[in-house]
Amino acid sequence: MPGVFKDYAKNKLKKPAPLKGIRVIEVCTLLFGPAGPSFLAEMGAEVIKVELPPVGDVTRSLNPFGWFYKEQGPMFMHINPSKYYMALDLHKDTAQNIFKELCAKADIVEFNLRPAVTNRWNIGYEDIKKINPGIIYLEKNGFGQWGRYAEEDRPSNDGAAQALSGYAWMSSFSKRPPLKQGIWICDVYGAMMGEVAVLAALHHRKRTGRGQFIEMSQTENIMRTMGWIWPYQQVTGKGAEPSGNRDQCICPADTFLCKDGNFAALAAPAPDEFKGLCLAMAKPELADDARFKDHTTRLKDENAMAILKIIADWAVGKTADQIENLGKKHGFAATRLHSSKDEFEDPHRRERGFIKEIDDPMYGKYVDHEIPIMMSKTPPKHRWTVRPVGFDNDFIMTKILGRSQSQLDELYTQGVLGRWKDQQGRRPPPDWDGQSGAILRR
Amino acid sequence: MADYKRAKWAAWADNIKSLDNPARNFEKPEALDDLVVIDLSSRSMAGCFCSSMLSELGAETIRIEPPGGDLVRTYSPNGIMVKDTGLAYLQEGRNKYHITLNLETEEGRDILKSLVAQADVLIETYPAGTMEKWGIGYEALSEINPRLIFASISTFGQFGPESKRKQYDYDNVSQARSSIQYATGEVLPEGKTAKDMPHAVPTKAGPWIAWAVSGTFGAMGILAALYYRDITGEGQAIDVSTPEAYGRLNDYQLMWYGEAGVVNERFGSLDTALWLYGFYPTKDGGVFLGGLRLEMWKAFVDIIGKYDEWKADEWTTLAPFMKKDWQLKYQSMIDPLTAQYTSEELTNKSIEYAKGGRLAPITPVVAEIVSPWKAMHDENWLDRGMFTPVQDPVYGSVLCAQAQWKSTETPPRTKWACRPIGYDNGFIYLKYFGYGPVKLKELGGKGII
Repeated sequence: MPGVFKDYAKNKLKKPAPLKGIRVIEVCTLLFGPAGPSFLAEMGAEVIKVELPPVGDVTRSLNPFGWFYKEQGPMFMHINPSKYYMALDLHKDTAQNIFKELCAKADIVEFNLRPAVTNRWNIGYEDIKKINPGIIYLEKNGFGQWGRYAEEDRPSNDGAAQALSGYAWMSSFSKRPPLKQGIWICDVYGAMMGEVAVLAALHHRKRTGRGQFIEMSQTENIMRTMGWIWPYQQVTGKGAEPSGNRDQCICPADTFLCKDGNFAALAAPAPDEFKGLCLAMAKPELADDARFKDHTTRLKDENAMAILKIIADWAVGKTADQIENLGKKHGFAATRLHSSKDEFEDPHRRERGFIKEIDDPMYGKYVDHEIPIMMSKTPPKHRWTVRPVGFDNDFIMTKILGRSQSQLDELYTQGVLGRWKDQQGRRPPPDWDGQSGAILRR
Repeated sequence: MADYKRAKWAAWADNIKSLDNPARNFEKPEALDDLVVIDLSSRSMAGCFCSSMLSELGAETIRIEPPGGDLVRTYSPNGIMVKDTGLAYLQEGRNKYHITLNLETEEGRDILKSLVAQADVLIETYPAGTMEKWGIGYEALSEINPRLIFASISTFGQFGPESKRKQYDYDNVSQARSSIQYATGEVLPEGKTAKDMPHAVPTKAGPWIAWAVSGTFGAMGILAALYYRDITGEGQAIDVSTPEAYGRLNDYQLMWYGEAGVVNERFGSLDTALWLYGFYPTKDGGVFLGGLRLEMWKAFVDIIGKYDEWKADEWTTLAPFMKKDWQLKYQSMIDPLTAQYTSEELTNKSIEYAKGGRLAPITPVVAEIVSPWKAMHDENWLDRGMFTPVQDPVYGSVLCAQAQWKSTETPPRTKWACRPIGYDNGFIYLKYFGYGPVKLKELGGKGII
């Protein structure tokens, strides 16, 4: 282990955050939008989440089979940590002007709205660029800002992106209907790519002083990850088809049913790994079999099917743990299938600080993920969780824009600033003491 | 492209397009063209994907393979090879200089150290401990170059109780360990077993998504470290574990178990946490239907002609529909209705509804579930530059997904698709060390390059 990672989780608090000093404003809802800025927040940026009062982000309502955590939507909590919560009614001129004042003092601004909405609200790229030429301005949505689908004003979301990209098509078993992912992969993956774009733009700005406008569609983002499928279709003139858990480019690589009813996944394409697997199966002669002699030969469909059948017949006589241990011993990749329970209980992920206990003044203690980037000098930190709609209004308006109490009162009266609706997910948790978590207390 | 009715805001669209159309990418500067990146990825497309993200933004990326080439060159369906390269690497060799170097030799490692002295970023994917064993771990290299950003991507990470395992990282294994595959897939009907229905099991996502996710988190970490380095002059080590990286996308499920003791289970193409949100059959395939607000769900019910019969007017909240039994009940009621239409008919109904339906402009999301073949030929994506073939000097016209985001200033771009093994030895060794043909021949003779 590199010494720089010694006692990593314990020593985190003694180290700075990488994005200290960066200010981000987001006007985002659901997942594609808000998931990205939260990565920056964990890396130390000051992220101000602007919602439309009094209902705010739709994700506040979402829940698995009716389960809320202290009245809050658990996925809202998962993707919005460590932000400041502001509610500004951007339909109003005064709110638009306040928003511009904030952008004048920001580095990055992110939206996920239908095309041209920012323009209608007078906060489009050209408007913001006038007051802050260095701004990095990101618009994320289903189809981008131009092109047929965008102009048809088609609504979109993660499931549509899974459908339209061919991703769902490639994620089922052969001859079965396309399978939707249980996770919102296109949204969150697109959000990740958005932060790569933004951070690269930040580097460019450091060198040249120039900001930029960036737009992306989560369908396009996910297509970029689908690798071999595109040249395969070009070279063979045929459509790519799904193959369940079998990796079509790596052999053997598949998931197998085991004796204990659990599953194990393994991969052994390299010569040393394949030999190790044959040895583990007590069939060392297979490594010299003409059908399996090297990786390219093994990948031929009929050979791949033959070796996978041999492995399946063997695996079903072992438990998943036995297979994982044989992988460890013989040097091929293998694991028992993990559930969220396994993830929760795994001492490895705990020690690495990936699974950590959050200690939040408003929502108390609970367990959540850290951003999965361990950095030896600047460890990211998941610090606090979400807040009710408009909860940090007064703090932001005082700290950044210097507004007085009477000015704030006026803005509330005009409905420019707003606070939460008395509704699940929008208001504070039922056991809240009326003070905890508030930065500016009166 | 086929004509379509322009939006009211067409002027906005045209203006943005004039500023960020990928067809003009090469007129623009590159964000990272001041950086040198060394990519030592071994057997892992996560590392290659990570370096692709940087090389698409202009970083001079030197891909180092062992003299026989990295195993990733062989990754290809049915073993198809284009010259010396499989179809997968034909996608991720993009914009990189390809050299060979034998790190198993002392002299090879010395050359690497000299290259590191002149580089900004190093990416590696060996099992933890391998680089240290060779004397080229982070500590050793940071002494040579304190500004170095050293990123490792592996299954078990660089520290923690499991990190001593000597196993390489593979996408399917990391997907299985992420806790996502467990809860993804068709539901096994009661009384059936996985032996009866081998397709109704925990199912991984088709393409290499776990690798893409860990590679992308790697790139995000590298860029954040770069920002810190610009201020302080200090480099650092970055550690990404692929099952953790992909597992981070498992939204509420960790919390659901931790706080309520519920293990999320497979729910087919419905969604444990959302309504209306699932795949439904059509006459010619299937569509995704989405309506996360009550009005959108009502609009969908209106489109399929059941607004009155199902008394949609009386619904005041989506809450009951989120429950498992209601989802299943309504799914079975919706299935036969959507099956009366083609996917295109349903999509058009939703677009039309937005213009004149009872709840217009509210309308549900309807999206055809297309094959990747159809996606690749969809004029909307072609128009937006997603599948513009790369004219590669060695491999010819290669179709690569690109232009994954558009930008006015420093958009990503693809210059070449790939290079054969050791293709750039002449250029890179000359550029960084002044090694000419005589020296290269000597190194070749010793099996170092």
